[in-house]
Amino acid sequence: MANLETSLKECLGSIDGATAVALVDYTSGMALGTLGGGKDFNLEVAAAGNTDVVRSKLRTMEHLGLKDEIEDILITLNTQYHMIRLLKGRGGNGLFLYLVLDASRANLAMARHQLRRIEGDLEV
Amino acid sequence: MAVESDVLDELHRLRNRVPQLTGSLAATVDGLVLAHDAPGTEPEGLAALTAAALGVAYRMAEATARGGFRELLLRGADGYVATYAAGPAAVLTLLADGRVNVGRLHLEGRRSGARIGELVAAGLGPERGRAPAAEPVTALPDPAARPIGTLPVRTPQRPAHQPAPQAGGHHRPT
Repeated sequence: MANLETSLKECLGSIDGATAVALVDYTSGMALGTLGGGKDFNLEVAAAGNTDVVRSKLRTMEHLGLKDEIEDILITLNTQYHMIRLLKGRGGNGLFLYLVLDASRANLAMARHQLRRIEGDLEV
Repeated sequence: MAVESDVLDELHRLRNRVPQLTGSLAATVDGLVLAHDAPGTEPEGLAALTAAALGVAYRMAEATARGGFRELLLRGADGYVATYAAGPAAVLTLLADGRVNVGRLHLEGRRSGARIGELVAAGLGPERGRAPAAEPVTALPDPAARPIGTLPVRTPQRPAHQPAPQAGGHHRPT
């Protein structure tokens, strides 16, 4: 089990190409914790915007009658990957991890695997 | 008048960007309505209540050395009321339902507050030049002379009429 700060540090430290990470509450759209990003990447804007992405997908699934859960969402830009991973259980309901990767340095399969492990260890 | 219509345009833009917004109001810090887009609510009453809440907020920020007023967020069982600073003389109050993305509400509310602050400063600058001095904290002649636990006296104190009862049936503080 790892706490929030440790998990965010581990995302940036152990995942190749990771440039920013946030833990976001999608019931409110606000970030519980952020790391990286810097001046040119506002993680609060990203948290609010990606909350709409998650909510929209959940609503679509509801309309489609899918009784299933989102495990993760991958958004591929020209130069970046954005990964959204929803937390499961242990009070993690309504939260997601948001990870920004530099596409030229990241290994997508490895990043997804590591993010799953970090999410599994995260205790909120 | 140009200021009021510009501010109203900004409120309409805000409503388009945040769909869960149920109402918005721009008012001066002393409780006068500048523009409103809040169907089903009494704007004058809301502006007066905003001014009353601001009075407490200013004093609380001052007493705890938190710096100038930026925003107030109130969460009820059925939704949110958020007030954002709009320059030194005005504020922006937003009503949103419980499903609103609060992160987005903050981003858009702060941006619109800053924009309305610019509009107010540009439009009301000369004739309302005293506006910053109308802030309760700075308007106090002598804080020590006021008994502890009482609020600074501000004008206008009362809304022109009582706010209409809300769907939730809240009670007006007296």
